[in-house]
Amino acid sequence: MIEVAGAGFLSIIVDSGRYGHAHIGVPPSYALDRFSYVLLQYLLDNPNNAPAIEVMGNDLRLRFAEEMIFAITGAKVAATLDDIPIPGWSAIKARKGSFLRVREVKEGLRYYIGFSGTMDIGPVLGSHTTNLECNFGGFHGRPLIKGDTIPLKNVRARGELKMVPDTMIPSMQEPHMIRVIAGPEADRFVPRSAAFLSNRKDAVFFNATSRLNRTGVRLEGTPFEFRQEVEKSIISEGILPGTVQVPPDGLPIISLAERTVGGYARIAMVADIDMDRLAHIKPRDRVFLRAIDIDEADRLWRARRDALSFYCKKQ
Amino acid sequence: MEIERFGEQGIRVILGTAVDDRTHEQVRRFFLYIRSLQPPGVIDVIPSFRSCLIHFDRDRADYERLSSLIVKTEREWIEMPLPQPRRFEIPVRYGGDYGPDMDFVCSYSGLSAQEVIEVHSSVTYRVFALGFMPGFPYLGILDKRIYVPRQETPVLKVPQGSVGLAQLQTGIYPFESPAGWRIIGRTMKRLFDHDQEPFSLFNFGDLVRFVQS
Repeated sequence: MIEVAGAGFLSIIVDSGRYGHAHIGVPPSYALDRFSYVLLQYLLDNPNNAPAIEVMGNDLRLRFAEEMIFAITGAKVAATLDDIPIPGWSAIKARKGSFLRVREVKEGLRYYIGFSGTMDIGPVLGSHTTNLECNFGGFHGRPLIKGDTIPLKNVRARGELKMVPDTMIPSMQEPHMIRVIAGPEADRFVPRSAAFLSNRKDAVFFNATSRLNRTGVRLEGTPFEFRQEVEKSIISEGILPGTVQVPPDGLPIISLAERTVGGYARIAMVADIDMDRLAHIKPRDRVFLRAIDIDEADRLWRARRDALSFYCKKQ
Repeated sequence: MEIERFGEQGIRVILGTAVDDRTHEQVRRFFLYIRSLQPPGVIDVIPSFRSCLIHFDRDRADYERLSSLIVKTEREWIEMPLPQPRRFEIPVRYGGDYGPDMDFVCSYSGLSAQEVIEVHSSVTYRVFALGFMPGFPYLGILDKRIYVPRQETPVLKVPQGSVGLAQLQTGIYPFESPAGWRIIGRTMKRLFDHDQEPFSLFNFGDLVRFVQS
């Protein structure tokens, strides 16, 4: 069992996602930084869809009511276990009664905490992840608060204390260079706005606004300009995480994990290789969008998938 | 039918250009067919007004194979007889506190509240898509007489069950939510229950009529 003595800014239980119900509007709500989430499960010898805590903000405090192994991945943090500094991206043993405190987020936005046991919370629509807007899944459909206790079963107190080498840990420092592929409505924009999609040296620059959450990241800067004769909105249609939508005001919104349908022009799609990076965009961060073609996106994704599975296997 | 790639994990199958019954029926045929076929690696199929978006798992499927499967099987669903859609009657309390934008709709349309209610509740709508939130039905086609634009700035919170209008659509908010549509009434009917199958009251393709209560 884990006791929450302080929940940071926002802590929710997530997993690899809620799938199979998108036709009735149920979004995937997955752990936004999947690379960090997968390596967390690897560090703990957990199944690769096990529930974990996704946290934003300083001053998360947890007390371990029993002996177990835990790890923190994702954003780089300054954390202590019983006042002794501990490294991130490493499996660490906690004694019964130990106290974990994440004091400060140093780089990135969201971090992930997992335990060597199974969170004993029921799945909802096939997943343990939290749908915050509709209040279901996760821990009673809501963020964790001080005083909550998270039940764990099959807790393993012993195991190899693995770590992820620094070279495997991605940068989360801004500016964020986000690679994209042209979207279905790219042709609705004037050449000046759409040029970056065909000229790969031509990145477009925005700043992240404070309007960012698990639903999307709203950017500001020079608006994309619609061609005169076109409709500025589209007939609502399915979207996927990473769709870059442009409302009539021209300022893009990158959709994350909480929508299945959209009604704005889709100028581009974020390449899978940079999806995890979206989890770490903070208000005012600089964001560059740079186009690549689908074959390059595919190569990049394959290379990382192979590196990840090779790494997880060889250890 | 047109097939387009949608990013790295998506396929857009476009089944018509206009929002009409013919296109909707083709979307419904394709949606029902592909769901019954369950091709390996297909994670989700999202039907909407004129297309289906297929989300696939790139470890188990790829664009080339899935799109050629779709082309090859076209004749199996293109003329497929469709099951009768289910019909629902949704009781609505219109106006007043239940419908804070009724005055706006009246002044925009030049109709009285009672006329707006009559027009809104005299049409049988189709569920053209479900999305925005779990169980939220995009219903059409709205009578042109009560066409209204969306809110320029979404309202921060409308209660569960709020019935709204936007352009030629009407819809129901299954949860308390921010809203960009004009709210004219509210239903007490529960649209989504995460604890109980079938979870969503409505399915894609259902027919819905509103009844003043």
